[in-house]
Amino acid sequence: MTEDTFRLMGRTISFRAGESIAAALQAVGVLTYGPDALGNETRCFCGIGACQCCLVRVDGVVREACITLARPGMSVEPMERRNA
Amino acid sequence: MQTRTPSTVIVVGSGIVGAATAYFLAKRGVAVQLLDATAPAAEATGAADGAVSVASKRPGPMMQAALAGVELYRNLAKAGLFADVFKSRSTFIVASSDEECSVLTSHADALAGAGVRVERLGAAMLRERFPALSSNAMMAVEVHDEGHAIGYQIVHRLLTASGTIVARRTPVEGLVRASGGSRVVAVATPQGNLQADAVVIAAGNGSGKLLGLEQILTPRKGQLLITERVPPLNAAMAGSIMSGRYLLSKGSQPAGNGKPARGLGLVIDPLSTGQFLIGGTREDHGDRQTNDIDAVSRILADAVALVPELAAVRLLRSFAGVRTAVTDGLPLVGRIPGLENAYVATGFEGDGICLGPITGKVMSELVCGESPCIDIAPFNPARFDGLGVAA
Amino acid sequence: MRDPDILVIGGGPAGMSAALEAARSGLAVELVEQRESLGGAIYRQPIEGVQVIPQSAGARGRWAALSQAFSKAAIPVRFGSVFLGVDGHGYVLVENRQNGLVECLSPRAVVLATGAVEHVHPRPGWQFAGVSTAGGLQVMMKETGTAPRGSVLLAGSGPLLIAVAAQMARLGNPPLAIVESGDPYRRIMPGLSMLGFPKLLAEALGYLKDIHLHRIPWLRGSRLVRIERQGERFSAVVRAGDGSQSTFVCDRIGLHDGIRPNDYGLPQASSEAAAGPVILRAGDCREALGAIAAEADGRRAGRLAIQGVAASAADDIGKIDRQRRAQALLARLFAPVDDRSALDELADDTLLCRCEGKTVGDLRNLCQRVDSLTGREVKHNGRFAMGACQGRFCAANTAALMARFKPEAPASSAADLTGRRWPVRPVSIGALVRAASRDNDTQ
Repeated sequence: MTEDTFRLMGRTISFRAGESIAAALQAVGVLTYGPDALGNETRCFCGIGACQCCLVRVDGVVREACITLARPGMSVEPMERRNA
Repeated sequence: MQTRTPSTVIVVGSGIVGAATAYFLAKRGVAVQLLDATAPAAEATGAADGAVSVASKRPGPMMQAALAGVELYRNLAKAGLFADVFKSRSTFIVASSDEECSVLTSHADALAGAGVRVERLGAAMLRERFPALSSNAMMAVEVHDEGHAIGYQIVHRLLTASGTIVARRTPVEGLVRASGGSRVVAVATPQGNLQADAVVIAAGNGSGKLLGLEQILTPRKGQLLITERVPPLNAAMAGSIMSGRYLLSKGSQPAGNGKPARGLGLVIDPLSTGQFLIGGTREDHGDRQTNDIDAVSRILADAVALVPELAAVRLLRSFAGVRTAVTDGLPLVGRIPGLENAYVATGFEGDGICLGPITGKVMSELVCGESPCIDIAPFNPARFDGLGVAA
Repeated sequence: MRDPDILVIGGGPAGMSAALEAARSGLAVELVEQRESLGGAIYRQPIEGVQVIPQSAGARGRWAALSQAFSKAAIPVRFGSVFLGVDGHGYVLVENRQNGLVECLSPRAVVLATGAVEHVHPRPGWQFAGVSTAGGLQVMMKETGTAPRGSVLLAGSGPLLIAVAAQMARLGNPPLAIVESGDPYRRIMPGLSMLGFPKLLAEALGYLKDIHLHRIPWLRGSRLVRIERQGERFSAVVRAGDGSQSTFVCDRIGLHDGIRPNDYGLPQASSEAAAGPVILRAGDCREALGAIAAEADGRRAGRLAIQGVAASAADDIGKIDRQRRAQALLARLFAPVDDRSALDELADDTLLCRCEGKTVGDLRNLCQRVDSLTGREVKHNGRFAMGACQGRFCAANTAALMARFKPEAPASSAADLTGRRWPVRPVSIGALVRAASRDNDTQ
């Protein structure tokens, strides 16, 4: 099985084809993706795109990590850069 | 005209005008009953753009009223009442075409002539002051000493500070006069007649039916948008942005095809939450419940053209308010013709938040037999012939 | 591009069966799904090369039949597309995340099948990263074929907790314990009545067998009252029915207090909209009764969509009624042992609305006024249900707490707080700007 990778805050993350960003990050022990605009720590909570707790910037676009597929070469950044 | 202070007053409508009227009367020790058909700030006040601004005004009575309105906000903020609910900021009117530049230049002269502190910013200066702005912006006029307030927050604050309890779900169905006289003794509600020494009608579009003014008052809808929180971009905005096109398009334009007339303007207001409030439309109908993609995408296209980084921000909510407009474009503020102790204050269209508190103050003065602190003669309801009163 | 006659929103069992049923008529049917694969949360599919997590034979069979029928029917699916709402002119708005623009569709009927969301009571510490819903842990297991790592505590109430525990155990990492506020073993009558639902009972007993086999403590009549950070881990304080407290140190926590319709902001169902499509709801977003009822309800909605209105099928209604009885029974079976509500004793600094950072104390202050605020006033002045999740995780709790803080006030519902505006999910302004306006199409 070929392993693809994407970038999370400069770190290289492997993922399996068809995996969501949240699943790929969970697999390497990453449970929070930096703070959101209010300073809350982001995290995968509902897993179905409803709670808006797992927001990240995927190539600059705000997306829910739990329902967005990881794709090779994408860049995943936290919502806010402070404290990151 | 009566010259003594009434001991009891009924105010009909707990939007910003009614709430402010109740506040200023209560401060004088008058016992106020504030009635609402539904709940406080449930209509236009709860869905307003919140501009406390003279920037788009032309010299005349509305500009004078708006100047007094802004000043009162600043004073009440200083006094603590509006301390954390009034955001002081400038308005930047931005021109992106030669036509807009020329209209804006003469508009700025008119503002300056009326004593408004304005500053002209050329392209280079503008870029420095406002890095988030697109390079399409050719020039801007900064209107100083303005601000923003959220209507429902102001109402909540006024009610809380004056200890006013709103009688919710209490629609007023008519005014009850002393037999054959010009004196109102009570208002009729489904819960029975409620008596008072004087009555103030500040019921927005509900005032039309109550006072038989359906021909004079018309509902005017405005669609508005609110984004998620974006603190860095918000902080990079030195004030609110108003498209210079707003000056060209103020006043409705016929849309043709039998559709109601609809005007589009653009204001981008950075809120203290880090969100942006973006508006809006002016539509000649009263369907408050809906927003349409045509209007929303056009407003947002204009917004992105001026602030490109907004494209990467998410829209959180759309909403719409139905304001009350008067056919001649001026509000109705004053004593109701033919009645000695009943007053009306409505028809502010998009200026209700700016003018609400000052109007409340004026109404308290009128009701107590004093001369009002601003000139309200141009707003006198008596200017309309045949103003009928439902009783 | 031609508009479909019938547009179905949501690729779970309700949406898939609605689309299938509608497609039998020969009308053009399309389905909108936010992810890149079908199944919804209940049948979330594993990624390639990963073993499907152990499920009951019934669930496996239902999915196999549904997915095969769906492939055979060749119904076009718009993957990676998020439903935003129906606008004032009757256009159905869909954010196509593959091409980054909002599409305005004009079907004759739209079937909303947006599923359920889990109900989670606020508890001190529920906002920490590492705390998720139990259903959230479950969909991740379904997707990746692996259990969450470290020591995991499950807490709340309901049959989903034992299902998740059993599945974790079968994947090699049984949870530390299940904290359950009810006690099904003490509910004799509803327990006996479950005999009338042999499939559900068999499924439950299968999970319970695993729980006993792996010696997972099932702490019935207990509540998770507080979560605290302890370095990289959590300490979770659990109070038993007798009032005694114990502390669990763990790495992850899964919370679950039931499910409810994901109907936030959805347009009202209408059979004769003046402008725009007929709007129908199907499955858990209409009434949260689970996958079996959702599939039957989808068929019902599919048929209604064809007919516009009127006749419904007796066999499906029978199935839905039966599932309604089953869910009511389960609710009694898992009813909290402690009469006090989990909402009664929350400390004021407990986070109630996570998106806007508003607490139980903020709401209490608002409710202490002499006059009773409406749901909308509480939203405006307290910012509850105003944040990015648009009330999905705080509106119901806020409405319930309002009723406790001010019992004499007219009751507010979650919908009073959330309102009914599009977008029902936040959407990129860039995508909206590129929305193809169609208002001039017909001129």
